[in-house]
Amino acid sequence: MNTMLNMDPWGFLDDLLDTSSRAFRAMRARAAGRFPPVNVFMDDDAVIIDLELPGKTAKDVELTLESQAVVIADKPEPVTDTVTGKTEAGRPAWSRRLDLPFRVNADKANAKFTNGILRIELPKAEANGVKRIAIAG
Amino acid sequence: MENEKFIVPEATFTEKPDGYELKVLLPGIGKEDAELHIEGRTLTLKTNSKYQNPAGFKKVVGEFERANYAINVDLPEMADAASLAAKLENGILAVKIGKKPETQAKKIEIA
Repeated sequence: MNTMLNMDPWGFLDDLLDTSSRAFRAMRARAAGRFPPVNVFMDDDAVIIDLELPGKTAKDVELTLESQAVVIADKPEPVTDTVTGKTEAGRPAWSRRLDLPFRVNADKANAKFTNGILRIELPKAEANGVKRIAIAG
Repeated sequence: MENEKFIVPEATFTEKPDGYELKVLLPGIGKEDAELHIEGRTLTLKTNSKYQNPAGFKKVVGEFERANYAINVDLPEMADAASLAAKLENGILAVKIGKKPETQAKKIEIA
């Protein structure tokens, strides 16, 4: 029997974005283990980024701040070649980059792990305005 | 009145020669937020998450939400409920259960 009650072909996209739906959970499950899920919160003065990283602590994660972006990456144990004896940094299993709409005050940035959730607080840099450059000559 | 929704957390149950280990992923849950009960051979876990979205902020990307977890695990016959030890650290619950001594493999001397 062919029931064509729902004529909206794009409805599945709403499902994918609705965190309580089965479609979202299925998508999330496929991504699970490949990279940690992230929540991003913003207000006028700062951005807060939460990552779900159960079992991890500060030593397992590398946090890099660029002028207008933040990169959170896995920091695996160094690997030692048993034949040559050389030690190398392990290959990170995942890395997430978030481009920000404003520059960050690196001195006031902080990050803390609580029960497997990493919360990164990035306050906006004060002088986000345009600077005039004096032209010599 | 909305019923609290519980999610079944990711869990692994492994058997070793001298016991069992249950590892449950509970991000955002601290020691005080989880309740572990054992009744007979059934282990029950329920959590009351304190993870909060920061107040006054607008959520721009939401890939995970405050979640409460619940899981029931039926322990195998050889599990010794009396020798249960549970530790919750960094959002991971590790429960170690020993095996009943009389069920352990024993070498029998032939006279």
